[in-house]
Amino acid sequence: MSVSKAKKPMTLESILPKIVLAPTTAVMLVCMYGFMIWTGALSFTKSRMLPQWDFVGFDQYAKLFSNPRWDVALNNLVVFGVLFIAVSLLLGLFLAILLDQKIRLEGTLRTIYLYPMAVSFVVTGTAWKWILNPGLGLEKLVRDLGFENFEFRWLVEQDMAIYTIVIAAVWQSSGFVMAMFLAGLRGVDDSLIKAAEIDGASKMKAYWYVILPILRPVFFSAIVILSHIAIKSFDLVQALTGGGPGYASDLPANFMYTYAFNRAQMGVGASSAMIMLMGVLAIIVPYLYSELRGGKNGR
Amino acid sequence: MGSLLIDNVTKSFGETNILKGINIDIQDGEFLILVGPSGCGKSTLMNIIAGLEDATSGTLELAGKDVTLASPKDRDIAMVFQSYALYPTMNVARNISFGLEMRKVPKEERDRIVDEVAKLLQIDHLLDRKPSQLSGGQRQRVAMGRALARSPRVFLFDEPLSNLDAKLRVEMRTEIKKLHKRLGTTIVYVTHDQIEAMTLADRIAVMKDGIVQQLGTPDEIYNNPANMFVAGFMGSPPMNFIEVEVEDGQAIVESAGETHPLKLPCAEAIAAKGLNRVVLGIRPEMITEPKPAPEDQDWLHSMSLDFDVVEPMGADTMAIGQWNGVDIHSRLSPKAGMTAGKGTEIQVNTAKAVAFDIQTGERIC
Amino acid sequence: MVANRSFNIGRLFIYACLAAFALFYLAPLYVMLTTSFKDIEEIRSGNLLALPQDPTLYAWIKAWSSACTGSECQGLAPFFMNSVKIVVPAVIISTVIGALNGYVLSKWRFRGSDLMFGMLLFGCFIPFQVILLPMARLLAELGLANTVTGLVLVHVIYGVAFTTLFFRNFYVSVPTELVKAAQLDGASFFQIFRHIFLPVSLPIFTVTIIWQFTQIWNDFLFGVVYSGPGTQPITVALNNLVNTSMGGKEYNVDMAAAVIAALPTLLVYIFAGKYFVRGLTAGAVKG
Repeated sequence: MSVSKAKKPMTLESILPKIVLAPTTAVMLVCMYGFMIWTGALSFTKSRMLPQWDFVGFDQYAKLFSNPRWDVALNNLVVFGVLFIAVSLLLGLFLAILLDQKIRLEGTLRTIYLYPMAVSFVVTGTAWKWILNPGLGLEKLVRDLGFENFEFRWLVEQDMAIYTIVIAAVWQSSGFVMAMFLAGLRGVDDSLIKAAEIDGASKMKAYWYVILPILRPVFFSAIVILSHIAIKSFDLVQALTGGGPGYASDLPANFMYTYAFNRAQMGVGASSAMIMLMGVLAIIVPYLYSELRGGKNGR
Repeated sequence: MGSLLIDNVTKSFGETNILKGINIDIQDGEFLILVGPSGCGKSTLMNIIAGLEDATSGTLELAGKDVTLASPKDRDIAMVFQSYALYPTMNVARNISFGLEMRKVPKEERDRIVDEVAKLLQIDHLLDRKPSQLSGGQRQRVAMGRALARSPRVFLFDEPLSNLDAKLRVEMRTEIKKLHKRLGTTIVYVTHDQIEAMTLADRIAVMKDGIVQQLGTPDEIYNNPANMFVAGFMGSPPMNFIEVEVEDGQAIVESAGETHPLKLPCAEAIAAKGLNRVVLGIRPEMITEPKPAPEDQDWLHSMSLDFDVVEPMGADTMAIGQWNGVDIHSRLSPKAGMTAGKGTEIQVNTAKAVAFDIQTGERIC
Repeated sequence: MVANRSFNIGRLFIYACLAAFALFYLAPLYVMLTTSFKDIEEIRSGNLLALPQDPTLYAWIKAWSSACTGSECQGLAPFFMNSVKIVVPAVIISTVIGALNGYVLSKWRFRGSDLMFGMLLFGCFIPFQVILLPMARLLAELGLANTVTGLVLVHVIYGVAFTTLFFRNFYVSVPTELVKAAQLDGASFFQIFRHIFLPVSLPIFTVTIIWQFTQIWNDFLFGVVYSGPGTQPITVALNNLVNTSMGGKEYNVDMAAAVIAALPTLLVYIFAGKYFVRGLTAGAVKG
């Protein structure tokens, strides 16, 4: 065993895989990780119009968190996130269970529930902006039906505008949650429900005690994906309310855009972006961790 | 020429040593079988021979030329995979000729070879089909055809029959043997099926834990196993192992409540080692119903045995009883009409009995 | 008999629920379409759900060719073309790179390649807000600020993570023994890709292309940040059109414009829905 390992001569063929992967690796390191660090560094400077590298510690973060507009954006994110995720999950699960009952026209229904996913948030926002507009939209429709005093002006009310965003976002994304759950349900052995029914459980109980626990991974994935959508939401707000009235329906992404590109407050913009990154990491890291570990446990 | 010299080949992944110094000298035209339980390193060795994995150390010579560092395509080796690995989008003809195409063999030549190989393997009517339209046996033939087309120096077979059903497996086994007779090309064949190993091989290398436990002809492996592992691995049902006391060169066995001294062929070796306890190894076919045996009366012992279970298998009947509190298998003739029960008269032939060191498992003689 | 009847009532309930939600999902599309064919008078007087009394293409023509998107009034047509000019090269380039990357990451792994894949996968999750500022800077340095080329570049860079993920996960399921067999047959790295992998890749190419097409066509963030007045993609133009209030608000034009912006991806969804859903599930991480 004294023979030392002879190295294979390096041929073009043998390093081709590395060559193929090299450009992507380089670009990834610069444009994802490098840029992330760059933005992180920027958030500790007093950059405004242009980047400048006078470090000012956590000043920008202090500024950020004393900014009432950021406060509103964060609050909105909590309201929007919780409602959007909860409603999408319930609706998606409900539809998936109904669709799993050997429904005629299942394909057509699935197509209908899922098509909003193919449409951009800007289009969704535009459509709902029209439907929810106080003058001629839903309000008028209901009034024309005879309810003269019906009022529905969430779109222009400070406290309610964020809920219109929830409605539009649920409309767009719940079909996708349905598809995820349906795929999960299809993966569950049919005989489990039968066994539970033979054991005397009603269909409802069979789903509650037997099927839902099996779908736990789907819940996790769906929650992660939905919260990811929530944190990154930008276009929908821009198109539906423009962040208004005033800045009442701003989300962090809109705040970041406004400060970094419209108000020439790069430092504040960068620090808000970093907070968003932290938020995503707080969700993604445990998820990826459990996914990777789960794989080993044969989940 | 297709001789293959495997010289002190090792393979490790980090701290794990998969192969710990393999030495096998394969003659031109030889049919060598690598056999062993899964995880013994036989498939890794196969991949190293093919050039699909690099050895950590050691050298590999093909027809006298060092190919340790050569890439797979420069080795002139063809391989039949366990999963067949047929290219799913190509029809049978293209599957067979792909290797020739890559080696820039002209079209007419390729067609001629495909034709020839297809006739030889009786798949000429399948040439236009896709692999997904073939049965398991047909896929197997195509996989062999692909290897044959290139007329390589060495064929590698990686458990080629394990995906076939039992009947087809026996059929293809015979077919492969015929093919080898006809072509005379060197074959290295991996299997975990000891019957395949016994029936096909010129020589067998029994592997375990990255070490060749024994390299020899099927007869040597069967009758003169190097250790308990080899003895237990080859043969079905496996060799009976019984821990026994040795007195005056005789193994003391307790059967049906009586003790019997069995004469051992290797009494001197045991005595020379100063051992008084060994593992006695005796094949099931050496424990039979009483039958006349004209020669070597010395090795025959009669005793009674309590049969717990009797399993008729058609040609033979397996019966299971106990010696020294351990299950032992015996192979009886169905004509004897044995049934389970106490005190059945049997005959034990110890002419080929072997003894193993209790500590090391190595054969004493 | 009783059991049978309650069973039927249960079924009825299920179908009623499913139908009600179908209406909920279809309503906005229905409203968009009907509104786009009404004239402004009818919109003011009639109601949201009524079918157009006197269908007109006025709104469609205006949305396409003369509606104002900010200071210019040439309709969506030029922006539609901008989107096409961005989407086509970005989809092709990112898909090809993804296919090769996926091939290497699944079948030619080397020390560090798994780490690279992990980092790339992680990159799928980052909120783009953290790269917006430096990317703007880079595009300016390269002289690509406010250009279609710049947008193509951005979409390729941040799309490759997904295309790579798609192809890698698809190619992992191609038996590695095929690669070994082809190597023994004398095929090279690219020959194996060309002869063994490409022929089985049609489904994953379809999924990836559809996914990338939908993502890039529907993108708003990169569009609004990195485009200039002449290079805006259609999503940005639509948003400008809706928010430009010169004279009275023309909801019919807004709706026609929205449908025009949504049409390409909707058509893809209708004709290749199966692949679209597969992409969604595979690329679920992006959201």
